[in-house]
Amino acid sequence: MPGADITTVAPQDIESISILKDASAAAIYGSRSAGGVILITTKRGTANQPKISYTGAVGISSLANKPMLMSSTKWREYTSTTPGKDGSSFDMGANTDWFDAITRTGVQQDHNISLSGGGTRNNYRGSVSMLQRNGIARDNSMERYNARLQFTQWSADNKLKIDLTGAATLTDNSPTNTRNFVLAYNMIPVRPIKLDDGSWYDTREYDQGNPVRNQAENTYENKINNFYGTANVTYTPVEGLDLKVLLTKSRNNEDYSEYRSIGSEAGYNDGGFALRSGNITDRDLSEWTANYSRQFGDHKLNLLGGYSWEQQVYAAHSGQTRGYITDLLGPNDLASGRNIHVGDATSARNKSRLISFYGRLNYNFSERYVLTATVRHDGSSKFGKNHKWGTFPSISAGWNISEEPFMQNTAWVNDLKLRIGYGVTGNQSGLDPYKTLELFGSDGLYYDNGAWLPAYSISQNANPDLKWEQTAMLNIGLDVALFANRLNAKLEWYDKKTSDMLYTYPVPTPPYLMDEIMANVGDMDNKGLELTLGYAAIQHPDFNWDISVNLSHNRNRITKLSNAIYTTDRILLGGVFIRGGSSTTHVLEVGRPIGQFYGLRSEGLDADGKYIFVDQNDDGEISDPADLDYIGDAQPDLLYGINNAFRYKQFDLSVFLRGSIGNDILNAPRMAFAQSGFLPGTNALDDPLTYQLQETTPRYSSFYIENGSYLRLDNLSLGYRFNDRILNGARLYFTAQNVFVITGYKGLDPEVPIDDNSGLTPGIEPREFYPKARTFALGISVNF
Amino acid sequence: MNRTIKYITFLLGLALMVACTDLGEEVYDKLPKDTFGNTPEQLNAIIGPAYKSLKRLQPYDSAWGMSGMTSDAMIAPTRLGGDWWDGGMYMEQTMHTWDARSYSVQTLWDNCTAGLTAVNAVYSIVETNDLLSPELKARYLGELRGLRAFWYYQLIDYFGNVPLVTDFKDTSLPSITPREQVYQFIVDELNEIIPVLRDDVSDESYGKFTQGAARTLLAKMYLNAEEWTGTPNWSGVIEQCEEIKKLGYSLTADWTANFTVHNESSREIILPICFSATDGGNSIHLYTLHYLDPIALGFKAATWNGICGVPDFVKAFDDADSRKEATFLIGPMIDPSTGEVLMTTANRPLNHTVDLNIVPGTEKRDAAGNLTGWGEVNQEDGARIKKWQFERGMANTDMENDVAIFRLADVYLMEAEALVRLGRAVEALPLVNEIRQRAFGNTQHNYNVLTLEDVYRERRFELAYEFTERQDMIRFGTFLQPKFMKPYVTESYRKLLPIPFTAWQKNNKLTQNPGYPGF
Repeated sequence: MPGADITTVAPQDIESISILKDASAAAIYGSRSAGGVILITTKRGTANQPKISYTGAVGISSLANKPMLMSSTKWREYTSTTPGKDGSSFDMGANTDWFDAITRTGVQQDHNISLSGGGTRNNYRGSVSMLQRNGIARDNSMERYNARLQFTQWSADNKLKIDLTGAATLTDNSPTNTRNFVLAYNMIPVRPIKLDDGSWYDTREYDQGNPVRNQAENTYENKINNFYGTANVTYTPVEGLDLKVLLTKSRNNEDYSEYRSIGSEAGYNDGGFALRSGNITDRDLSEWTANYSRQFGDHKLNLLGGYSWEQQVYAAHSGQTRGYITDLLGPNDLASGRNIHVGDATSARNKSRLISFYGRLNYNFSERYVLTATVRHDGSSKFGKNHKWGTFPSISAGWNISEEPFMQNTAWVNDLKLRIGYGVTGNQSGLDPYKTLELFGSDGLYYDNGAWLPAYSISQNANPDLKWEQTAMLNIGLDVALFANRLNAKLEWYDKKTSDMLYTYPVPTPPYLMDEIMANVGDMDNKGLELTLGYAAIQHPDFNWDISVNLSHNRNRITKLSNAIYTTDRILLGGVFIRGGSSTTHVLEVGRPIGQFYGLRSEGLDADGKYIFVDQNDDGEISDPADLDYIGDAQPDLLYGINNAFRYKQFDLSVFLRGSIGNDILNAPRMAFAQSGFLPGTNALDDPLTYQLQETTPRYSSFYIENGSYLRLDNLSLGYRFNDRILNGARLYFTAQNVFVITGYKGLDPEVPIDDNSGLTPGIEPREFYPKARTFALGISVNF
Repeated sequence: MNRTIKYITFLLGLALMVACTDLGEEVYDKLPKDTFGNTPEQLNAIIGPAYKSLKRLQPYDSAWGMSGMTSDAMIAPTRLGGDWWDGGMYMEQTMHTWDARSYSVQTLWDNCTAGLTAVNAVYSIVETNDLLSPELKARYLGELRGLRAFWYYQLIDYFGNVPLVTDFKDTSLPSITPREQVYQFIVDELNEIIPVLRDDVSDESYGKFTQGAARTLLAKMYLNAEEWTGTPNWSGVIEQCEEIKKLGYSLTADWTANFTVHNESSREIILPICFSATDGGNSIHLYTLHYLDPIALGFKAATWNGICGVPDFVKAFDDADSRKEATFLIGPMIDPSTGEVLMTTANRPLNHTVDLNIVPGTEKRDAAGNLTGWGEVNQEDGARIKKWQFERGMANTDMENDVAIFRLADVYLMEAEALVRLGRAVEALPLVNEIRQRAFGNTQHNYNVLTLEDVYRERRFELAYEFTERQDMIRFGTFLQPKFMKPYVTESYRKLLPIPFTAWQKNNKLTQNPGYPGF
């Protein structure tokens, strides 16, 4: 089912996962595959005795790394000995570790039961899973139920096959309010969580408030239901010809509740705030394909033609009120809120369609030479009237060198394959519909002769020329298997050019109405090399050791930032919040990668604790923009993963390490909090920098950009498989995740989230960073 | 064979359910342009946002704040602990040290240009509408041109040389037009539209761009003619003010009627920004009041404790002037349930002093290490601005009070100023005295002889925090002079703000104002 949500498949239902990266393989999946395809094949039943399996595990998670803020002792020592920082009026005699107060050791469990079987003409598999997780933030928890049923039936003459799948996923999710991490950074350790009389301590200082109270009194709850059914009918009227119809209907609905209490930091602004909202997404998909294969001697030919139609309808509604006199009702009685503003009751609805025609030719000569050619004609309703359709071809060729006669005597070479491919795919995912149209939207109220009446204004800068974003990729690959398949390697070189990138471009007002417009502007180039190695180091009846390594190097460059209508050669963007001194962090510039940090270059602190900046143009002054420089790159030079799998008799152990080299990270929390400017009213990091820095406000520069290279032991799994006689070959296992990370980066964790700036300003650890957890779990899987 | 037919029919049956290449978009939650605006009611709904654009003047980081804080009347001091330091943003406005990257400059530019383009967009829609009678259409278009002229007036007041764009359909990048040319454009537009605008002063015309509003704006243009174009036009001011006085406006008997919660009944207000508590926009109470003040004042709000009156300005008021007590909130704030003074979180009594005392040890130094004169003050320091009545019983909403951009008292004082400058001070006396009489409640503070200095001071007291301070100070030559917290003379090129860097980033045809570093 294309475009499915990965959370709707329980891990125990997965048979295999494959990743398709080259344009030719992905072409058959159409425009959604511009970024690559993750293909998940679910388990199917087999014609066998019915089999029942159970897998269950329990585990705990704990905070892997927490910010080192000044403790109450340290704060008292500092404020009593530093001139101008007397803290006596702020000290309430408490000793609070705010980060400890808002985190906990989380407990989780998951269970899965599956039943499968079949006969000569049919097979089935059903499974039910339950997952329950308490996160390391005190207000974070999730419960999820998955149910899946698959049934396949062949007709008596084997010409008709019907495949039915139905799946339901029910999720109850309480996300954490990440603002509490910011509060925990700022709150001073000498204030209590609760006062002597048992009531909450709270404050209204800037960026401060009681985060424990926020967690205890406020609720954020998401209930998500996802249902889908798929019918796959294959009819083979004559041998070699397969006619297939795939029909899918899915519905996803979300119901969200939020309540922020009258006295808490999150709710006092509104005097208590309640929100109830929901949305429904309906997806209908049908695909029709005809596949013909024929063999003439050494020549094998396969022809595929198809049509696919997809429609998505999204509808949402929301109601919110404020001004409560009691917290007891929570979000469950919106009628109680006395304050309704214009815009508090809203609804929305939109629809979009994707239609494709595609054809593929596959030619294979004696298993030695393979040629594939694909053409797609994709249309999307989101584009302008004259640009809805795009044609995307791709072609690839392969040479199975190991099948050649001259290779038959080289026994130590089991497989040697050379592949080359070129393809173009279109992309429109993530684009909202209706961007090409001139529309009026509601705009609050206007005053006329004693009354307030509804107003409407133009809601967006329309762009009728909006069209497909295109990615053209050339890839060359070599697959090798040697020494009876003990050593295998796959090397791939690619060059991927994306053009007409869809981006919300800033435009001047005047002459535009709004200050941004969705447009196709910009070209980007990604070139790289990937190597995957697998080696069966030791193969012995009692002991096996398999190593696999994968390395990848990618070089990203922006090649164009303008089109016929909009010209620029650089865009400054990104923002990092320093209280009262924000600045942009990145630059998008032709010839440079996405993730290029741009700012002043610093050479450390001088004896007086002031920054030393490099005067790039030697004019005796440090000024912006003259002295700005390219000070870092968030993109890594190398990504790698190493997996070692051992088996000794009944025991198995796998150790998975992965890491990155050469990526830079902006340590924004250190920039914001390793300074004494807001002491004693606000806390600071217990970092030598806090005591050395004598600037009034921290300033963005290379001083805070650190090397984020790391090596992480991501997954460790130790298991014991019982004999077939005991518990039918059950397996007991212990897993650990995020066991350790080795890095020089001083922040919380070197894997920082991709921003919410469309991925254009990566590499910043935000103040609201949800710390990573370390998880240990114990489980068992049994078959009956 | 039969089975084959059966299966193929089965598949064809499924095929009939779906087979199309239709990619047209159906819009559900917005209105495509050609489906809306077809009835008078809908057309009014489209024109509404052009008036709503005036709300963009009000925020503390837009014109209200820029005019107040760059003058010597309003200040946002940094509070002990660092609150309102914000990287020195407000210090820059007080001490005249802003540059093209200053947040306040950028926000003011963004607000003014957004207001301007909103009006242009509505104009382009009304222009092509055939539903309206020619008379009504001419009047609506006139009102829109008036609003557009108003936004250009704001732009040339603050930035001087700005891009002149009057056509929303043309999206080519504009370059800068010099101030004198934009000035002439504004004056010509106003003169052309005055005949077609409505001239009634009633509930129906309240909030609209009437002849009164157009003439007041024209008077402002002539008032600043010398400063903005080099050629004075004081007689033009007098002529317009005389015309305005013939319309139905009148000074309210009670001065505070112009600032009450429901001040839409004031016939002194010529052009207001209309605010509604539910649609938001008037947050003066949030900017100026201390976190605990609402308890004493009888309403609920999560206030920000920032903006105060500058001590020298507060002290310049005569104690017998009723406007002093009505404009400023000074003194201890009492908790009505206990009768005791409220205590701040720093355990000090909440007593709004007039003086701003810098706490020793918090003095800010510049990059070279020199004292700037700026520092941190206690939370409770500073006279707060209560000119616009705070509604008792407000529960976490914005203020309902409209804010007047133009009112009759301003017109009187403009005429008085022009008369004095032309040597006709005697004719100006009754205008100024009527204002003073209303303020003092008697004739004992009336003038017998009027100087330009007297008119200047009267404008400051009467129109405090009503968008006029900076413009007045520049015209009277006091803007560059030393003032509270700024002991030096400002460079004269700073009478214009710089074109913000972000505006140039989006439109590289813009050029920077003289004196500031080029782009």
